[in-house]
Amino acid sequence: MPSTALALTPGLASFLKSLKTNPIDTSIENLVSLLKRRQIRHSRSCATATAYLLLRVVSACRTSESAKLIERVQSVGRRLMAAQPREMVVGNIVRRVLGLIRDEAEDDREAEFALSEAGSESQPQTPRAFDDSSLPLDRDMLSLRGEGAERSTSRPPLTSMFSLLSHPEPEHSLPSTPGTQSPNGRLFSPGQSKDVRAEVLEGINEIIDELGQVDDQIAAYALDHIHSNEIILTHTSSTTVQKFLLKAAAKRKFTVIIAESFPNNHEATHATISGTSLGDDENLTFDSFQKPLIAHGITVILIPDSAVFALMSRVNKVILGTHSVLANGGLVASAGTRVIARAAKVHQTPVVVVSGVYKLSPVYPFDFDSLIEYGDASKVLPYEDGDLVDKIDVQNPIYDYVPAELIDLYITNLGGHAPSYLYRIVSDHYRKEDISF
Amino acid sequence: MGAKQKGGGSKPKGNTADEVEETLQAVVLADTFEPRFEPFTLDKPRCLLPLANTPIIEYTLEFLANAGVEEVFLYAGAHSDLLEKYINASKWRASSSPFKQFNFLKSTSASVGDVMRDLDGKHLIAGDFIVVSGDVISNMPIEGALKQHRARREKDKNAIMTMVLREAGRNHRTKSSTVSPVFVIDPTKDRCLHYEEIDEHADNNHKRLNIDTEVILTHPELDIRQDLIDCSIDICTPDVLSLWSDSFDYQSPRKHYLFGVLKDYELNGKTIHTHIIKDDYAARVRNLKAYDAVSKDIISRWTYPLCPDTNLLPGHTYDLRKGNLYQEQGVTLARSCVIGRRTVIGKGTSIGDKTTVRNTVLGRNCKIGRNVKLEGAYLWDGVVIGDNTDINGAIIADGVVIGKNCKVAAGALLSYGVKIADGITVEAGTRITKSCRDGSESISDPSVVGADGEGREFIQGEDDDEDEDDISVASSGLVYQNPAASLSSASISTLSSDISDASWPRSARSSFSDGEEQDNFHHDATTSIFDSLRDGVSADVVQLELVSLRMTANASDVQVRRAIVASFMKHVQQLMEAGKNASEAVHQIFSTYREVVDRTLFDRAKQEKKDQVDLLIQLQQDLVHRNKGANILLFTAKELYDLELVDEEAYEQWWSDSRSSETEEMRNVRSQAQQFVEWLANAEEEESSEEESEEDDDEEESDEESDEE
Repeated sequence: MPSTALALTPGLASFLKSLKTNPIDTSIENLVSLLKRRQIRHSRSCATATAYLLLRVVSACRTSESAKLIERVQSVGRRLMAAQPREMVVGNIVRRVLGLIRDEAEDDREAEFALSEAGSESQPQTPRAFDDSSLPLDRDMLSLRGEGAERSTSRPPLTSMFSLLSHPEPEHSLPSTPGTQSPNGRLFSPGQSKDVRAEVLEGINEIIDELGQVDDQIAAYALDHIHSNEIILTHTSSTTVQKFLLKAAAKRKFTVIIAESFPNNHEATHATISGTSLGDDENLTFDSFQKPLIAHGITVILIPDSAVFALMSRVNKVILGTHSVLANGGLVASAGTRVIARAAKVHQTPVVVVSGVYKLSPVYPFDFDSLIEYGDASKVLPYEDGDLVDKIDVQNPIYDYVPAELIDLYITNLGGHAPSYLYRIVSDHYRKEDISF
Repeated sequence: MGAKQKGGGSKPKGNTADEVEETLQAVVLADTFEPRFEPFTLDKPRCLLPLANTPIIEYTLEFLANAGVEEVFLYAGAHSDLLEKYINASKWRASSSPFKQFNFLKSTSASVGDVMRDLDGKHLIAGDFIVVSGDVISNMPIEGALKQHRARREKDKNAIMTMVLREAGRNHRTKSSTVSPVFVIDPTKDRCLHYEEIDEHADNNHKRLNIDTEVILTHPELDIRQDLIDCSIDICTPDVLSLWSDSFDYQSPRKHYLFGVLKDYELNGKTIHTHIIKDDYAARVRNLKAYDAVSKDIISRWTYPLCPDTNLLPGHTYDLRKGNLYQEQGVTLARSCVIGRRTVIGKGTSIGDKTTVRNTVLGRNCKIGRNVKLEGAYLWDGVVIGDNTDINGAIIADGVVIGKNCKVAAGALLSYGVKIADGITVEAGTRITKSCRDGSESISDPSVVGADGEGREFIQGEDDDEDEDDISVASSGLVYQNPAASLSSASISTLSSDISDASWPRSARSSFSDGEEQDNFHHDATTSIFDSLRDGVSADVVQLELVSLRMTANASDVQVRRAIVASFMKHVQQLMEAGKNASEAVHQIFSTYREVVDRTLFDRAKQEKKDQVDLLIQLQQDLVHRNKGANILLFTAKELYDLELVDEEAYEQWWSDSRSSETEEMRNVRSQAQQFVEWLANAEEEESSEEESEEDDDEEESDEESDEE
């Protein structure tokens, strides 16, 4: 059939496919140009592509010295970030991989001194359950963990009341995991300078797993935040938000108002509501499309963006997706988000942002303008309108910057956090030395 | 867009087993064989001219990479060495290039038609392919069009081509303002039924559209559209190429090919379809006006993501600031300078105090003095501009130096390396260049560039007087205030005039004088016959082609003979090079294609054998330049006699004709034939009885001819 014999249009799928066969440098160039051409967009696609690429880079890097490995990953990371500086998740993933390598390197050094400590960690990993009863155990584990010196010293605040609440689940899927497993291997080959790569690769695979599961993990908190007969306002067709709502819809009845986010995302939003959509890139590799909210008997109201303020007085809660979250608690999300957040502030409506931890960037936004990408002007004004096109400037910002004070709560796969607490998660996930590499 | 990509992307995951991936091929016509960008194209191929500081070809290749094309054939025309050098150094040739194969083809073609015929001859194209000209800027995902095209072809083998057209309303800066293409479309099937170009500046009598009544009668629904930008992105099947080959007189892809194929629908049954896009951007930098418009589109982000801040070229570091201001790192701006909206500034450029820059593209390493005003100008790399100078809507190429207190008015084009002395005013629409068409350095003209200046005014079409008027009117598409500036009409008229108006008188003239001057008919006919001879096509077919070609070009018999002679002799020589001796080669060709020659000779019955003599003289002239010409002439003369194509009287008349012994060379060539002619003269008397029966034959033949006429 010639119709299926269509060569792949470049995108995430074709990139992942070609990754296996192409040489490393080609793949790097390939991803750089895909990012430049915006053929891979959306946070998660970017993150996934970056993670898979780094997986290849690390496995192809024929060195056991962590310093060289770090250098290599840094150079690749720089190129990727230069290609599309506004996709901050790319940098995030690179930083996490760098952190992994550093942890492993330090682990190695430490293991030579503290072999015995490893024994206490052979305890199996807590399964991904979200029951709070596992909390004390996890905390023990955390404090016992033979992690890098710097990490362990950064632990004490965890014992605060707030972090207890916000850490119902340990960062099991995070760089620490290889740390819990590596000692097992090390027991049999003590003293030997180990190839850190195997551990790092495992760590990257965990990151990839995390990317796959993050929405479901976030959705697990849905019932805590969405109550019966509430009116929820949301924006765009974000999969994370949709899953969050769907999870709650399975048990509770509530009303959802969706602002259509014209002009960059309204088609996808319409499709998401009616359920006719094929989904967008975000759920490309992970899920088949799920039933839309209306199929669960939820009342869904689609409104134009301009009606947000008028309706805000009736809304109980605003739930927003995001493009990336910044270290100061502010966020960059699709255009129109700031208006909603501001309207919510005026009406004292709580604003909840759902976002995977991978979107959390250590970058501090000194220059908001530079974070905002301007898109295709023809979405605002049809290009056919020759008279106007010639006379006016049309701007189509794709993103909005929302300052931290407009947001009440972040829900990540680690739990709920206040915006002011995000800096802690940042320092848990990224090493200081990697923040600006 | 996202959804579409996903549809294309996720499908193959499921059924990879049963699919063989067809690689998508694309043909890029880097040269469009039009003089619209002169004088810049004297030094550089047009597709390397910078558009918002990125060579035009980059956008086209980027578009193809976006579309998932894997094999690219790039046809270079003028300055192919420069283009090749550029391409070889670019990322497209690197191992990481998205194209699995990148073929650089040089051709000596003079038109798009020649390129397509050449491509057909090379048998490089396997399946469906995309044809774009090397100046297309588009962010359109071609998937949709491709899918439609394939679905249509599935159903109907005759749907050979899909054109991508962009809807653009009535007035649009990117539309051609001079010649508006009119498409007559059957909207139910997206089929293009008729195509015509209307010259906007023609007087009203010529602004007319002629639609076949048949078209109107057979289609209940018709769209006649003039609001489309033809972005010359065509999705073709291999049949398209063979149609090009069949119609050797087609030059331009639209005016001739499209028009011709649609017209001949009854004959060939091929249909051409349209894909009209409403959402994405697609345009061609067809002339300088379009250059201006597309630059603006790029800067205003209509072409997103193909914008300066995407940094298509490695090493570019553009950053978007407020007000569509793109600035590279390493720009020096004086404190009191004013940088307005829609401006692009390249690396290493410095701008002096109190200078205002608006709507302007500045390349790299430009030095702009103090108190300069730049408005709507395009400055390429390394331009130096003195203090207090005013530049308004001009294109200023690499390395131009403009002195202090100058004024450059709208529409001025300053080509590479021109120097303008202090205090000079460059008038609107002036074109100043340093290099000549033939590559030699020209003498500076102080009245234009000042005493210390370098360069002179460029007059377009200086070696071809017929086009001069047109093109100098069209001097610059950049000039808005001059609505008569008809850039595209210039080049189109160049093309059309070659075919219809120009070729007839000129070639008639030339064929009597000498064989050097080439005209289109001669060229086309020679190539066509030669190709047929080489491929061993039967005489009927050659004859048919020749007749149709003659009809289209309204060529004289003399021209036809000349074309036949040239191609036959070329083939003879080729056969001889392959190891045959002259007599065999000549015999092989003339015996097979006797009929073709025969049909050009109408003087059997007459006493004065004008045509036959002309044939012999043509032969003689042609063979002057060929290896072993005298030898071939002898055998050809004999063969023509044996085949009863040329009569004895004709040989006598030929021999005594003054033209055949004009020059030393001519006499040399015919020296060997002398014995044959002498032998003929002797034999004539003896064979008088046989001759009668021959004459009968001749009469029959001439009857046939008159029937055909």
